[in-house]
Amino acid sequence: MADIHIGKAPPNSAILPFYATGAIVFWLLCLLLLLSSGALTTFYFNPHLLALVHLAALGWGTMIIFGAAHQLLPVVCERDLFSPVMASLCWYTLTAGVALLSFSFWHFRAGWTMITGGALVVLSACAYFCNAVFTSRICSHYAVVRLFIVTSAAWLLFTVTVGLLLAVNLAFPFFDKNHLEILKLHAHAGLAGWFLQLITGISSKLVPMFLLGKSVKEKLLHYACILQNAGLLLFLLDGYFSGIHPFRALLYAIIAIAGIVCWLLYLYDAFRHRVRKSIDVQMKHTFVSFLLLGMALLLIPVMLFAENYRWTMLYGTFLLMGWITGIILGKTFKTLPFIVWNGHYKSLSGKVKVPLPKQLYSEPWVVWQFRLFIAAILLLAAGIILNETMIIRIAAVVWLAVASLYVLNVLKTLLHKTKIQ
Amino acid sequence: MMDIAFTDPHATEKMKAQEALYNVIDPELFVNVIDLGLIYDLDFGEEAAINVTMTLSTPHCPMGEAITNGVRNALELIFPDRKVTIYLTFDPPWSFEMLTEEGRTQLGV
Repeated sequence: MADIHIGKAPPNSAILPFYATGAIVFWLLCLLLLLSSGALTTFYFNPHLLALVHLAALGWGTMIIFGAAHQLLPVVCERDLFSPVMASLCWYTLTAGVALLSFSFWHFRAGWTMITGGALVVLSACAYFCNAVFTSRICSHYAVVRLFIVTSAAWLLFTVTVGLLLAVNLAFPFFDKNHLEILKLHAHAGLAGWFLQLITGISSKLVPMFLLGKSVKEKLLHYACILQNAGLLLFLLDGYFSGIHPFRALLYAIIAIAGIVCWLLYLYDAFRHRVRKSIDVQMKHTFVSFLLLGMALLLIPVMLFAENYRWTMLYGTFLLMGWITGIILGKTFKTLPFIVWNGHYKSLSGKVKVPLPKQLYSEPWVVWQFRLFIAAILLLAAGIILNETMIIRIAAVVWLAVASLYVLNVLKTLLHKTKIQ
Repeated sequence: MMDIAFTDPHATEKMKAQEALYNVIDPELFVNVIDLGLIYDLDFGEEAAINVTMTLSTPHCPMGEAITNGVRNALELIFPDRKVTIYLTFDPPWSFEMLTEEGRTQLGV
């Protein structure tokens, strides 16, 4: 009987800045959406939309995911994080990089500011990749989750490197390919490589843990990993060398979608065999986010064969503001209160009566956040489909309400003072 | 679930320990460690020591350190003259069957 090592959480100073910054960027993103609602009714390669997309993907999605991933890596690998200093470096460079990039896109200043921003984001991805690889190198269990963490980190590095090259190309053209074609490859490497694979890996660990569910069908996760990577690799290679052809792109999408189905079947199996029957609002957020992912996937053939750019806009909206935002809005209150609680009460537990992690934030606010989130995404989708700026503006107001509730709840948790009852 | 036999020479200590551990709550599940069935054994055989054999609901529970700290703190509080050592094991792994009736009710199973 061995004294088994429990993965030690990294210091809160290496994790919490990601959550605080991500929350503020989300609020800023919703404000900018309100200020430039018209950007969603025109062709997608426009300055304001580029700024919004990079704020959403890097400043919001990647920022929060970095925080959660740095916290979860030691848990999955049963080892301390390789370097908390590198995690902090990751935050500094990502924050500065996102600020420079978004400013440059908003004012469309192609040049050294944009390139520096892109380079800082690449540096951040490098730091994260090293931490992911060196922490998981000694990981002896959960090979699939580890594989997803490492492959997603590699895809992130690839995506941001291509992004940097695109930024350079805008100022000093050197690509012999169409800039917009490369942009599509860059976007999909980020969506299907970084976000999809990281979320697949982390959720297949977290969802069963939160539901007290178990699945013995781990093979499904292996298939998910192979199919998601195969579909993406084929799309990127074919798209780069032969150009994006709708029929072939659809075939690659089907391969990747088969990988998504395997992942969701694994989660469903864990859900069916769960001990905890009650589903909290955070888990409902997760389920709705999966529905929105499904809606985005259904749009792929429409987007590939229809000429109208609004379907591309809707597809991106469902992925960034629906799927990724939905999962983050829920999972934040499944992780952050526990991280903060650990910092305050880990050593006091059992000695004195301490509050529970769920008492560190307001549950009613999360319920309202959930309701408003559904209203916001539906309104935004309606605005894009009808190409109606006014509806998009109303949707942006609702988004701002969602973001305000979220920021206040995150701040309430972060600013919690130790209370002994 | 941990059983305490009346013939056990340390039955009194074990019952006192169990009572204390009812106050140690899994912060995520909001159920105490006894009703969750996380405590496999409390060994008072060694003088000035308590050896606790326990598990976690999942092998990489992020709250694992808080739970084991809670168990140690609660036992040290009522047995200040004994050194508490925790042996974490996943053999057998925790399963739904280890919940007490009260634990099942609290989890809504």
